[in-house]
Amino acid sequence: MSRRDEMEALLPFYLNGTLEGAELAAVEQWLATDPAGAEALEAAEAEFSSTTAANEAIRPPAGALSRFVEALEAQAGPERGAASRPANIVSLFSRLRSAPAGIGWAVAAALFALVVVQQVTRPGGETSDFEVAGADNSLAVAPFALVKFRPDARMADISAFLSDNGLKVITGPSANGIFRIALPATGAADYDRLLKLLAEQPFTETALAGRRPPNG
Amino acid sequence: MNLFASGGDTALESQAARPVMTGLAASDRELVDRVAKGDRAAVRLLFMRHHARVYRFVVRQTGSEMLAEDITNEVFLELWKQAAAFERRSEVSTWLLGIARFKALSARRKRQEEQIDEDQAAAVPDSADTPEVTTMKQDKGAALRRFVDALPEEHRTVIDLAYYHGQSVSEIGEVLGIPVATVKTRMFYARKKLGEALKAAGYDRGWP
Repeated sequence: MSRRDEMEALLPFYLNGTLEGAELAAVEQWLATDPAGAEALEAAEAEFSSTTAANEAIRPPAGALSRFVEALEAQAGPERGAASRPANIVSLFSRLRSAPAGIGWAVAAALFALVVVQQVTRPGGETSDFEVAGADNSLAVAPFALVKFRPDARMADISAFLSDNGLKVITGPSANGIFRIALPATGAADYDRLLKLLAEQPFTETALAGRRPPNG
Repeated sequence: MNLFASGGDTALESQAARPVMTGLAASDRELVDRVAKGDRAAVRLLFMRHHARVYRFVVRQTGSEMLAEDITNEVFLELWKQAAAFERRSEVSTWLLGIARFKALSARRKRQEEQIDEDQAAAVPDSADTPEVTTMKQDKGAALRRFVDALPEEHRTVIDLAYYHGQSVSEIGEVLGIPVATVKTRMFYARKKLGEALKAAGYDRGWP
């Protein structure tokens, strides 16, 4: 094996930053002194890009966490002390699993974050399914809109918008990817304003009127 | 330059990127300690951090997405059961990949899927004049990606582990259960095959 052969075998580890000691010094010295070094490094970088692309073309399945939690509970039994918390997470991710491909990990994470916040802030440690967001019974009769998010919707954008405007997820997604979002509207004009605001967000694909306020 | 920065993954997946894992190495180990004490939130968090990369590794090992999901779950269930036996000299990611490798090999033996390698090897173009190669010349990156995919499994695995999973020579040896000298030899032949395939497709880079 020639010196170049040895260096070519080490270049991937030089690129990924794990080479050290004498081998690192040898590669650096070779790259600095051999005209073939720059070309070899460029070739290794191309391999790096292609390998990354080949791996990232594999999309992990939606609902993986839900199925893992189910498998864990099947093996270890229900969690003691906080039995309803994983159940809620399972419920959420089970719904996302059955949702269209457009409901991706980013939206899943956004709603996961909402559920966690609601559980933390829920008074008295009372638990229930995430569909009744925050265990707030008033949501059962609250005005709501029917919303479908874009496939590329980002967690941070949705979370911030819902939080800033006092909106809450009541249920969802349905089989066709639609969420029911509670709107804190006090009248018809307020409801229309919030619905329009929701429809105008870049992460919203569709926003339709659902239950309007009693006086609307 | 951060060579392993995530290039468009979602937020959850990007948590498993190598630089983040390195920065959170202690945290990963703390989570394993918590798992060893029966903390299920800790195992769920480790799942969210590492699931995507373990899943991709198993898909590349088995060629089956359906099989990969089951095996990936088994890897994290193994983590749940064996957390107390985790040797802290390893990165958690390396440990998980080692478990994944073992389970993927077992599953492959059961399904007698060795034929996959032969099919993939047959996909390597050996002529510079086919329409396929002509198309590849228009996109060297696409050609190289196909050549990486078509490498024999033992060679493609060291390429994946080094370039995508950011593993060192010794870590790859740990994952695959082979000496470091063998890791280097496999890397040499893997890159040599890629160079030869590129040359056959009209991209002579001067080595080998």
